[in-house]
Parts: sequence; C-alpha cells; structure tokens
Amino acid sequence: MTTTRGSSRGFSRRSVLLGAGAVMATAGCNLVGGGDDDPTDAGSASGGEGGGLSGEITVALVPDPPGASEFYRAQFDLFQEANPGVTVNIIENPSDQQLNALELMFQQGEGPDVMRVQGAAALTRFYDRGWVAPLDDLVNDDFTARFPEGSLEPTSSGLHREGKLVSIPLVWGDWGYTHLWLYNTDILAENGYDAPPETWSEMVEMATTITENGGGSVFGVAPVSVPYFIEVAQPFAQKPGINLTTGEPDLANPNVVASVEVWRQLQADGVNMPGWESWDGGRPFTEFAAGRLAMYPSATWHVAEIRKLAPDIGLGIASMPLPDSGRVAYAARSAAHQPIWSMSAESANPELALAAMDFLGSVDFYKAYYEEFGSFTASQVAWEDQAQENEDQAGILAVAATDIRTAPNPELLAQGAEAFWADAGGNADLDVKNAYLESIVSNVDYEPLAAAIDTQVEALIVQYEAENADLRSQLTFADWDPLEDYTA
Amino acid sequence: MTTAAITAPSKPGAPSKTRARRQAVLWGWLFLVPLVVLFTAFSLWPIVASWAYAFFDWDGVGPPEVFVGLDNFREALNSSSFWNAFWNSFLFSLGALFIELPAALCLAMLLNNVLLRGRNIYRLAIFLPVVSTTAVIGLVIAVLLAPVGGVVNEVLLGIGLVDRPVNFLGDPNVALPTLVVVDIWKGFGITLIYWLAALQTVPKDLYEAAKLDGAGARQQLANITIPVIMPIAVVVLLLTFQRSLNTFDLVQAVTGGGPIFSTDVLPTYIYRYAFDASIAAPRYGFACAVGVIFGVFTLIITLLQGPLLAGRLKRTAA
Repeated sequence: MTTTRGSSRGFSRRSVLLGAGAVMATAGCNLVGGGDDDPTDAGSASGGEGGGLSGEITVALVPDPPGASEFYRAQFDLFQEANPGVTVNIIENPSDQQLNALELMFQQGEGPDVMRVQGAAALTRFYDRGWVAPLDDLVNDDFTARFPEGSLEPTSSGLHREGKLVSIPLVWGDWGYTHLWLYNTDILAENGYDAPPETWSEMVEMATTITENGGGSVFGVAPVSVPYFIEVAQPFAQKPGINLTTGEPDLANPNVVASVEVWRQLQADGVNMPGWESWDGGRPFTEFAAGRLAMYPSATWHVAEIRKLAPDIGLGIASMPLPDSGRVAYAARSAAHQPIWSMSAESANPELALAAMDFLGSVDFYKAYYEEFGSFTASQVAWEDQAQENEDQAGILAVAATDIRTAPNPELLAQGAEAFWADAGGNADLDVKNAYLESIVSNVDYEPLAAAIDTQVEALIVQYEAENADLRSQLTFADWDPLEDYTA
Repeated sequence: MTTAAITAPSKPGAPSKTRARRQAVLWGWLFLVPLVVLFTAFSLWPIVASWAYAFFDWDGVGPPEVFVGLDNFREALNSSSFWNAFWNSFLFSLGALFIELPAALCLAMLLNNVLLRGRNIYRLAIFLPVVSTTAVIGLVIAVLLAPVGGVVNEVLLGIGLVDRPVNFLGDPNVALPTLVVVDIWKGFGITLIYWLAALQTVPKDLYEAAKLDGAGARQQLANITIPVIMPIAVVVLLLTFQRSLNTFDLVQAVTGGGPIFSTDVLPTYIYRYAFDASIAAPRYGFACAVGVIFGVFTLIITLLQGPLLAGRLKRTAA
C-alpha cells in the first residue's frame, strides 16, 4: 500500500472552475451525513471563507493503468488548488489487493472517504454492509447531462442499488461490451483480400488461404476470445449461460455448437496459429503487432497496445463475422455503466467526499483521463469529437454503434433472482469457456460438454427454487427480442 | 579450619552458578522469542487458520460466518478437476524422484572426482537455474519452445527430427511432460548440491582400503558409497519430494495450468479458487479445504516413505 499526501501547484482557469463547481455542487445539496446550515457539523469539514470546503479526505485507488499514480495525484492537486484548505490523501493498492485492503480498512474503522470499488460484485457487497453512501444529492440536470441520455436509470445503470445512486463510473459503459475483429490490412492485401470477412465462411476461407501462404511464419487466425465470436450467434452463451427468453440453460444451443465447430475445424486443419493455447492476455496483440497473426477477435484495449508496439501497422477494425444465415444476436449490454468510484457512508467529512466524487464524475476529469490514457471515459461529451478524428478510435465507435444491444439483467432488475445470478456467475465450474477450449484444442464434440454444464446450471436453479419458487419466471423475459434493445 | 577453608569459598559459588545458568536460560528464551513470534504469526497461525476456514463458505472478505461443515472437503474430493491437479502434482514428484534424483547422483559422482578439471565451473553452471527467477525462466522457456520462431523447433526442423513444429506448451499431451522436464532442469542444481554434500561425507580411507582389497569401481559404489550416503539420501529424497510436489511458480508463469487444465497442479488449483481475479467470487474456504487435503496427503505420502527408508537403512546397516 502506498500513500501520498497532497501537494500544491499554481492556479489555472480550469481549477477555478472546478472549485466553483465543487462548491456549487455541495452548497445546494442536502449532503450525506452533513447539516444544511452548519457545515462544521460534518466531521472535520469546516466552512472556509465564502462557504468553501476545508479538511482532509482519503481516497483509496488502484494505480492502474501504468502512469495512473502520477495522473491521480496531479488531478487531486487541481482539486486542492480549487479548494484551498482541502487536502486529499491517496492510498494506492495493487488491483488484486484493493478489495481486501478496503475490507480491512473498514473493519478497523479507518475506511477511506472515497474508494475504487472495482465493479458490480464488490459494490453490491459493500452496499449490503452499509459502507457505501448514496450519491443522489449529486444528481441534477448538470450531472445527468454528463452521461449518455437515459443511462442513469436505476434498473439499468449498474450504478444503483435499491434505487439509490451509489457509484460513479470511470470508463465508457460500452467499452467492455465492444468486441472487435482486428485484421492486418497488409497481410490481407498480400493474399488478395481488400476487406475483412463478413461471414463465417469468408473467415474460414481467408484464414485458410493466409495460413497456407504464410509458410509457417504468418497465420490466418487464432481462436482467442472465442466468446466474442459466439455472441453474434447467441447473446447468452456466457456465465451463467441461461437463455433469458426461456429461462433455461442454453449453452448447448445449436448456434453455439456451430460457432465452436468453426474454430474446432480450423484447429484440426492446422489453420489456427500454433501455440495460442498457452498464450497470456497480451500475446495476441504482440503476435498481431509482429505481423505473424492476420486476424483475431479482440477487446477494445488491444488497439492502443498494437499501436504502441507497431505504430505504422495496417490495422483494420471491423465487426465480428456473422453466421452465413445471418445475425442471431448482438453483444449483450447488461448495464449502462460499470461502477468504479464510491463514497464511504462512514466518512468523517461527507461534504468534502461528495465534492471529490463530483470531481471524479466531472467532464474535465473524464477528458483528462481520456487524453492521458486513450480510454473512452464515461462522459461521452468529454472525448467524442476528439475520438472521431482518430482513425482507430473512430473504428471502435463505429463497431460499438452497430454491434451492441441492451439485454435484461436479472441482478439489476432486482426481482428476486439476484442471489442466484451472482452465485451462478461467480462459479468457475460453470464457466463455458473451458468447454470451448476443450472442444477446440482436443478436437472433441462441444455439445456434450456444454450439455453437462447446462445440467449443472439447471440443478443450481432447482436448488434456488426451493427458497424462491418464482426464480424461473424471474429469469424469463419472453417478450424480449435479442435483436432489439431490452426496455424494462 | 581446613574444612572451613574448603567449604567457605563454595557457598557463595553455588548461587552464582545457578544464577548464571538461569541467566543463560533466560537469554536463550529471549533469543528464541523473535523466532517463536514469527513462527507463530507466519507458519503456525496460517496452518491453524486454514484448517478453521476450510469449514466455512468464505470469500475472503470479512469474517467467515457461513459454516458448511465438511461440504468443502466433499466438493473437492468429488471434483474431477481436483484429482486431475492432484495427479499432475504427483507426476512432478515422480519425475523428480525417478529422473532427477538418480541423474543428479550420477552427475554428482562425476563432479566429485578430484581428477575432473573445471568441476567448480560445471557445478556453478548447473546450479545457476536454481537461483534464477522462475518468472524469467518461464518467459525464456516460452520463447524458446514457441512453435512459431522458437529456437528449439527451428533446430528440430532444421535437423529433420520433426516435419512440423512441436506445440510444446499448447498441446495438452505434451505440455505437462515439457513442464516436468523444465522443473527437473531448474531443480537439478539443488539436488546435485545435496548429493555432493553427501558424497563428501564418505571417508576416503574406506576407498583406499577397498582398493587394497581389490574392489572395483562398481563394488566401491555398491558397498561403500551407497551405504554411507544412505542416511543423507533419505533426507535428500524427502526434500526433493516436497519441493517437486509444491511446484507452483513455474506452472503459473509458463502455462497458468493450461491448456484446458492439462498442467494444472494443486497449488495452481488452490490459487485459482483463492486469488484469481477473473473469478468473480473468490472461494477462500474451499481453497483452504483443498490446501488441507493436499497437506494431509503430502504428510501421509511422506510418512509412508519414512518406514520404507528406515527399513532400507536397517538392512544396509546389517
């Protein structure tokens, strides 16, 4: 754990605006745990000259990605400059230790005022324990306007618990749902192709040709991130693998079987790049950047990594190839945002903590983060124009605009299936990715492997139904068309 | 007078000796305190705590509250993936016991020969992998063994030993033997040092006497070297067995237990359930139960070796 204390820097126009915003945000609000009339009632906070903030807060965060330590310190320095008398102390924990560290801090009565909760599961846990403060006092027209329209609905935002706003996002909501088909334009051109594959048949034909022509040093594809490839054939073929139109486990769905079969056949024919079976997360973009891999299904963040390794590479970004019979589904958006920042309900200085939360959710902060790291942040207005001017980022946005649909999320809808959903989703034994891998690597039928997991999921449903007889109906959204956005 | 002269000095001397002895004991305990505290905090307490946590459904966050009795143990023992990892761990040990131990003994005898020039350099070269960082070794091994552009495959293809690259780490049938070989290579140096230490306990005059009696090299090995080093061999065997059974860093660094769990060993299995960030809900309770089972099995296997080796020792002594 690393701790840094506040430092001071010169004023800027931006910091003055930030300060004014923070003061305005707190002055007009019924602040959590604080009095309306006498700010000195709120712990160590005290009204400064002209009603400004003062005091000290602690922010527990994760220095991720590389360079984040310096970035956050600089940002909170700006916050301090805008609010003279305010000190922001930063505690840094490694990503994989953050939640345990927060837990220990709260147990010892030394919880931070503001913290990174790292996602939905931990937010739910912390909320259930009463450690997370509601942030509804932040919500006004100005705040809502920072985020995409309609994305702060309690049943779909991902930031609400029991109808209360309890978290603020960092990255763009669709960043994690956007899945790309990356291709090397130069390799494709050398093999006589001027466009990426649009269907599975085209993909197989192109990959086979490239591997055959590659002479053992260039390969057509590698079956990394197979679930991204499958999601165009079946939107619920991931943990816990329940078809939300029927409420039944559906990992052995014929569409999924067919999509796994595509990769299994490529593997059996020696088309896939050998060695992918033991790659770590960074290896696909390394091989791609080295010009040894022509195409692969990818997450958004790979694009920037490829550019770092090979700035001049011919990088093409496209949608996933579709089944020859046409699209069956889209990438399933299960929440509008990913919860990252939360405020402690035990903060001794809630006014100041709330102001810090407002700062972390400000357009200026989101813009600075985007400019520093190139990640799309939660406030689209902070970066959208700039992103359109960048060919790679525009490509990502184009795919996101066409390839994602909102799906029902039994956990957020809070109709009673939350416990089952969390249990099934967190059970490693029900992870269908292992079945994909086994089928492709060992050249065995996928269907019986998936059917075995379906049986386990069904058993879990039956187990939960003993205490929740309505579980099946809570998992069934018969009116939802997977080709359309779900609306509650 | 004489008596008084004899006894008088002894009276003040007795309490002084006792006090000195007490002080020595006190100092002894005082010096032991740091060890006891550290051992209790970092060895004893984790062992006891893991036994306790094994009976809870606990995600590692907050106090364990959901008591599940023996459910975690039952789940592990009924899990095919647990037994897969257990068997793989055992294979690492078999490799160490039946390949590494005898091979290291043979090489140690060679390097123990004073007539061999540059033997210290050979010893150093063989010991280097032991002190090298496993993560670095893993990285280098992955590069060397890569099917595309890997040096090993280039050589194999170049000399015509294979007609297509061997997928050393990606083929489920080849990955585990590959890692066993790498593990043997990495641990070979330490076993070699054990054997060298053992060999240097053999009195040279025994060999000289045997030579005078006309004993050849094979007879000297069978009747002098092996019997004399046998007590140390028991320790070497147990140490090597324990080390190889707990292989974790190499597997985690090179394959992470993959592909499709073909190289999964119990330490990586435990790690996955307890710490893998890709699993939404860590299962510390279950991981502790697996750790307890693993510990008990290790203890049993180790204890089984004890009487066998003791019997061997007795026969050797007779």
